[in-house]
Amino acid sequence: MRRTAMNHEDTKRTRSKKALRGLRRVVLASVGIGLAAAPLHAHHAFAAEFDANRPIKLRGTVVKMEWINPHTWIHIEVKQPNGRVEAWAIEGGPPNALFRRGFSRNSLPTGIEIVVEGFQAKDGSRRANGRDVTFGDGKRLFLGSSGTGAPRDGLDPTERR
Amino acid sequence: MAIRRFVMVGLVALLATGCSFWSTPTAEGTWTTPRTAWGDPDLQGVWRYEGAVPLERPKAFAGRESLTDEEIADRDRIEKEQAANRLAGLEGAAVGRRSIDESPIRGNEYNSFWQDHGRPRRVFRQTSLVVDPRDGLLPYTPEARKAETRAQARYGVGPYESYLDPDTGERCLTDGVTAMMWQGPNGGHNMIVQSPGYVTILHEEYRDRRIIPVNGGSHGAVRQWLGDSVGRWEGETLVVETTNVLDRTNYEWANIWTRASETLTIVERFTRVADDTIDYRITVDDPATFAQPWTANMPISRLPEGTRIYEYACHEGNYAMANLLSGGRAQPRAQASSK
Repeated sequence: MRRTAMNHEDTKRTRSKKALRGLRRVVLASVGIGLAAAPLHAHHAFAAEFDANRPIKLRGTVVKMEWINPHTWIHIEVKQPNGRVEAWAIEGGPPNALFRRGFSRNSLPTGIEIVVEGFQAKDGSRRANGRDVTFGDGKRLFLGSSGTGAPRDGLDPTERR
Repeated sequence: MAIRRFVMVGLVALLATGCSFWSTPTAEGTWTTPRTAWGDPDLQGVWRYEGAVPLERPKAFAGRESLTDEEIADRDRIEKEQAANRLAGLEGAAVGRRSIDESPIRGNEYNSFWQDHGRPRRVFRQTSLVVDPRDGLLPYTPEARKAETRAQARYGVGPYESYLDPDTGERCLTDGVTAMMWQGPNGGHNMIVQSPGYVTILHEEYRDRRIIPVNGGSHGAVRQWLGDSVGRWEGETLVVETTNVLDRTNYEWANIWTRASETLTIVERFTRVADDTIDYRITVDDPATFAQPWTANMPISRLPEGTRIYEYACHEGNYAMANLLSGGRAQPRAQASSK
């Protein structure tokens, strides 16, 4: 497997702590009235495209960002230890949602180095559903969920609660 | 036949036009409906449903149509907390979804970050958007209920053997006209533009468009994905009747209640009750899916002047279609190689 594997031991160690934290959140959210959301899927189906058992963490250089619907795509080049460069495509949120959250064309400039966490495509190709992007200075851009099993590193806001 | 059905749906829509749970026009008694230069009630602007009311009544509220003041205050506090949590980058139970620890992926995959939430949701007195039937539940036929169960079970699971297998939304087509005015997780804005004799509605997600003649004309004979809408003014209310929908029930739909069939008829009533609010009421009848017509009622909020609708050229970037078909093929390969 060419992908850079995440540290699964870290994931296991933090699982019990996360379970406790999650329980607290469930209790908090359940206080009062639990008005469930109307049944509606957010297209597209993650499980059809990506493999939850293939978490990835990639360090690469931004080649371009495609501001397209229904999802944005960040293209990066990842240098392997043997010097070979691999092209990866990372799926991000829809442009209108990102834009209304303050993202701009300048948020991910070409040529900068980032670390991307996410889940690889089921077909094993170099595509992934993006979760978080970390810049060289440690600043973090949330493409998706925190707390989906990624190792704790103190940068995730859920860890500071 | 079609006329008879419309009369029936119209009657149900009329009977269901009661006092709204949420309607609280500002400066009651002094407010008058704004009008266009040619004298029609003015509905123009960018609008969005911003309520926190579920479509169907949750079991916990069975037999209750409205919340108490305490419940409203409690729910409002939770909504505000969740909106703040969302902005802070929290997910899962902290924003009203399934707990991440309980379900790291399912229900949290395309989490709130992936969606266009807009302003914090508002809490209203009603316990469901469905106001008729009075139990607040969609009156599915037994067959449609089975279809809904099957559709929910196959979402994200497949089989995905053809481009016809993903639902109509994943195919970048539409989620149908039924939910257009109040849903759209990747773009729930609707722009209403009027000209003499026409009301046009542009829905952000899928860029669905409806050009509605409002001079009381008759329906045409062409069946379309979003049907054929004809409108008229009843006092201050725009009434839109939609029929001539293509039968697409053989396609997958994210939710069966939004699916299109030749027997689907919809009556919508738009009444501007305040500068920033339209009372929206929709009555849906389709013997192919429902045992009886149902009506939902909700307030739709006007967004600030200058709010823009963005392009949603979904096909342009629908890499998901290729991804899920190749993922669908990879799955049997992986299963075969592990045997």
